[in-house]
Amino acid sequence: MLKDSTAIKWSFVGPVLALLIAFNVFPLCWNIVLSFTDADLSGGDWQWVRGRWYGRIFSGAEAGPQYALFASALRTTALFTILAVAIELLFGFILALALKDRFRGKTAVLTVLLVPMMLSPAVIGLFWSHILNGNHGILNQLLHGLGLPQPQWLTDPGWKFAAMLMVDVWMWTPFMMLISLAGLNAIPPHLYEAAEIDRASRWTVFRRITLPLCAPLLMLAVLLRATDALKQFDLVMSMTGPNDASTQTLSALLYQVMFQGGKVGLGSAYACVVLVVVIALATVFTRYLDWLAAKQGRA
Amino acid sequence: MIALRWLAIAGYLALAAAPLLWLGITSLQTQEQALATSAGAFTPTVEAYGRLGEAYAGSSSTFLDYLLSSVVIGVLSTVASVALGTCCAYGFSRFRIPGAKDWLFFILSTRFMPPLAVVAPVLIMYRQFDLPNTYLGLIALYTVFNLSLAVWLMKGFIDEIPKAFEEAALVDGYSRLQAFWRIIVPQARTGMAVTAVFCLISAWNEFGFAMTLNNKHGTTVPVYFAGLQGNINGVPWPQVAAGVLIFVVPIIVFTVLVRQHLLRGVTFGTIKQ
Repeated sequence: MLKDSTAIKWSFVGPVLALLIAFNVFPLCWNIVLSFTDADLSGGDWQWVRGRWYGRIFSGAEAGPQYALFASALRTTALFTILAVAIELLFGFILALALKDRFRGKTAVLTVLLVPMMLSPAVIGLFWSHILNGNHGILNQLLHGLGLPQPQWLTDPGWKFAAMLMVDVWMWTPFMMLISLAGLNAIPPHLYEAAEIDRASRWTVFRRITLPLCAPLLMLAVLLRATDALKQFDLVMSMTGPNDASTQTLSALLYQVMFQGGKVGLGSAYACVVLVVVIALATVFTRYLDWLAAKQGRA
Repeated sequence: MIALRWLAIAGYLALAAAPLLWLGITSLQTQEQALATSAGAFTPTVEAYGRLGEAYAGSSSTFLDYLLSSVVIGVLSTVASVALGTCCAYGFSRFRIPGAKDWLFFILSTRFMPPLAVVAPVLIMYRQFDLPNTYLGLIALYTVFNLSLAVWLMKGFIDEIPKAFEEAALVDGYSRLQAFWRIIVPQARTGMAVTAVFCLISAWNEFGFAMTLNNKHGTTVPVYFAGLQGNINGVPWPQVAAGVLIFVVPIIVFTVLVRQHLLRGVTFGTIKQ
């Protein structure tokens, strides 16, 4: 291969890196600085407050009732992420098992199944709140017709969280299915043939062949989905609004503090804590990708 | 077992499609019909679609204004992301760049950033340049936001183009730029189209930045719906349904177009089929 000058190389990759530093790294650093100030949204004078916000965040309710919100949002986000990812993985994997073999119209079926995950949660979430409405919603009308109880999905605090989870599952199960399907299709058929010769039971085949060979891709799917679910904001906004105690995720709390309360300093401190979690997960994800690529390279 | 399989497929197919079907039905109803507590037969009307041309209380723009913003911002940011992403992906695919792997992982990790965590500094920065409430502000932000996707997807596609093609061209006296423009770009056309679709959808659907940075002008469609939600006269459901339908139809069309590349798109090109 011909030698390329350093200037040529960097003129290809440089602009992207520069933009990412300007629009991502720089705001992040600024965010850290802001978290030590009492800056507000109006952009007026501000002062250094050192670690005041962090102290209050970590002492929780003792520092005042409004600081207990962070712990609650953290719990909501964690619970939401874990439940959403687990349910979507389970449903998605089962669906992939059902869809594994060829059949007529498979492409069409797959395409219809995949549509929900391409839609905007902010927009489709609003329409879902029409479907889930306790009085005129079609879901409760159907439940009524079937003689089942009809929860007040969007007004009963015990159900709001479940309603949001349900819509997320509706949107993202196809994502898990898509990746599971790729994992299932990549299993060499001769393994199944060998198992058949050995008269292995269905369960053994599933446990010893299907599951372990799919696991790396499933892990990738879980990491991708988890980093996304952690950011949950759009569904919260469109279904219950940002200030609802039972569905307030970290992103929704950030919005409330920064844009409704105008407290940029405190909001930035929240953001920094969130970022530590996100960066940790992103690191796990990239390391995992790296490991996966190395493993596949060897195989 | 086979019956169970078909039950699972048919059941989920119904679950996936029913809300979208109901969306279409609601858009043809009147507000009274949409609020009826027992659904029944009704005469379809396109009244709700007409309402989209009116501005709702407390706003001076109509749905069409928001749609125009969405199209302009979506298209321009997509073009920029794909162009920049293709160049960068080519660089990482063909040159020896010190720390290439770390740079690539850095690019990918920017995607994990929650928008709400960087929005305050971005807003403060934008105010210095009068960028809030402009097309340019959101275009720049969406371009950068989609770069990670564009670079990773395009790198996958460019890696698949044999190096021999451009090496032959380089030996024939093409410059590196000529080889890139005349050999790689035509070869990578499918990849660029697929990448463009994913960037467009992601810009089209974005809500957090649009709501916080462009709350007065140059606002995109998802924010329009957030505005309807707070309507004092109650949410006009048929109008919402009509707007949502118009908003999601392009996405459905694009999803069908790139169906073979969906796996790649949603996993940043890390899984190929």
